[in-house]
Amino acid sequence: MSHLKFLLAVWKANLQSAMEYRVSFLAQMFGMIANNAIYFLIWVIFFDRFKDVRGWGLGDMYITFGIAASAVGLVSILFGNTFSLGDIITRGRLDYYLSLPRPVLLHTISSRMISSGMGDFIYGFLSYAVSGSFSWDGLLRFVLAVMLAAVVFGAFLILVQSLTFWIGSTNNLVQLATNAMVTFAIYPITLFDRMAKLILFTVIPAALIGTVPAEFTRQFTWQTLALLLGGAAVFLALAIVVFQLGLRRYESGSAIQIEV
Amino acid sequence: MKKYWAIFKLQLANGLAYPGEFIGRSLLILPFMWIFFQLWRVTFEASGGAEINGLTLRSTLWYLVIAEVIELSRPRVANTISEAVKDGSIAYILSKPYNFLWYHYSSSLADTIFRALLNLVLGGGVAWLLVGPPPSLWGLLAVLPLLMGAWALNYCIAALIGLLAFWVEDTSAFQWIYQKLAFILGGLLIPLDFYPAWLRSIADVLPFSAVTYAPARLFVEPSLNGFLAALGQQALWLLVFAGGLGLLYRRSVTVLTVNGG
Repeated sequence: MSHLKFLLAVWKANLQSAMEYRVSFLAQMFGMIANNAIYFLIWVIFFDRFKDVRGWGLGDMYITFGIAASAVGLVSILFGNTFSLGDIITRGRLDYYLSLPRPVLLHTISSRMISSGMGDFIYGFLSYAVSGSFSWDGLLRFVLAVMLAAVVFGAFLILVQSLTFWIGSTNNLVQLATNAMVTFAIYPITLFDRMAKLILFTVIPAALIGTVPAEFTRQFTWQTLALLLGGAAVFLALAIVVFQLGLRRYESGSAIQIEV
Repeated sequence: MKKYWAIFKLQLANGLAYPGEFIGRSLLILPFMWIFFQLWRVTFEASGGAEINGLTLRSTLWYLVIAEVIELSRPRVANTISEAVKDGSIAYILSKPYNFLWYHYSSSLADTIFRALLNLVLGGGVAWLLVGPPPSLWGLLAVLPLLMGAWALNYCIAALIGLLAFWVEDTSAFQWIYQKLAFILGGLLIPLDFYPAWLRSIADVLPFSAVTYAPARLFVEPSLNGFLAALGQQALWLLVFAGGLGLLYRRSVTVLTVNGG
């Protein structure tokens, strides 16, 4: 409970800080909505010409893209530092969080809000609204699916970036992993063979932030819910364990720094 | 021109000093090419024919190699310039005996060429393994001058966006939108040949197709007429955007205020 209170206080401070530059905040938010909408036109053009990919149509793409966008947006808003955790470790900036009486990982990742994430988050809901499959109970499933997909995405980022403790700078690896995750998440799962699907559920769990939550949104089944909950729990636990193991190897940067 | 050549060489040497960094960044093209292959293999299978609107699976994948090489190799100049304006480091370059825009152009071109080579080797390697050699090796020869034109044109547009930092707090939204317009109207992910006629005719008259589509399409189907048409299209847009950039830069320098040292 005290962690939740703490998180709420951090998020409030992050939001106030972002709103200090209101024009920039709004420009990034609306800019990201426009960015996603223009990017999605690719799929509109594609399905206008080729109709479907092994049973996968434009309506499916709206939901899949929407889930992935909102999940990425949610992580950006609430845990923005998951995108730069490796850099924080390399530069010795964990010193600041280690010196405070709060859980290091939770405090570190929640200390930044990426304003453009708000645009991603909102766009996902707009995409679901125009998918042609909108329903009120579907919306509830969409919200739950976005939250679970966000847990998987955030945990994946923490996992990859925690490798910094062992191998040093992971900038390229993080860029590669993040791009692969987002790219594979927004392509029809029907494109891939069994081996590729196995990879998309394990090494790069893109299916858990795209296809599976989209299936759950369209139709409730206990099996999909179990898959989402199980995936989120496993990746979150793995991320926490790997980060904690890595933290034992952390060496202070001894740099003088001020967190603002 | 000698000083810009020196800047170009210096930046090239910088790149060669950290090859691991460049190779690491270029690995991104590998998953992209693999997923494109999956998408287009299934699409061609579903269409039932070996050719769609004049393109085969092999030529589509090689088209996408060149399109991705152009996109992934272009440096993020808009960001660099915008940051230089915001943090004031622009003043450092302005006090030197070279032109700010030419400095960034020559320095970014070195990065671009290095990245393009790596992307071409990696992306081309994957495409070769998946669909065989490119339709014509002459295409590579024809496409080289067009690649230079594409990057020059991209530089002018990106620098224009970067200079907007003199008036707006944050240029990232403009950068995203430019990138996505280049994706759609440049034919980065889907060749323009597969677009509906009305959208194709719009894309043809805009500069984005001169950056991506024209060089990539010429690569898979080289011809003298195609080459001259693409060159003319790039030259025209270069004139427009280079002119616009020159004007905006002059205007920007007049509103610049430098405080302290």
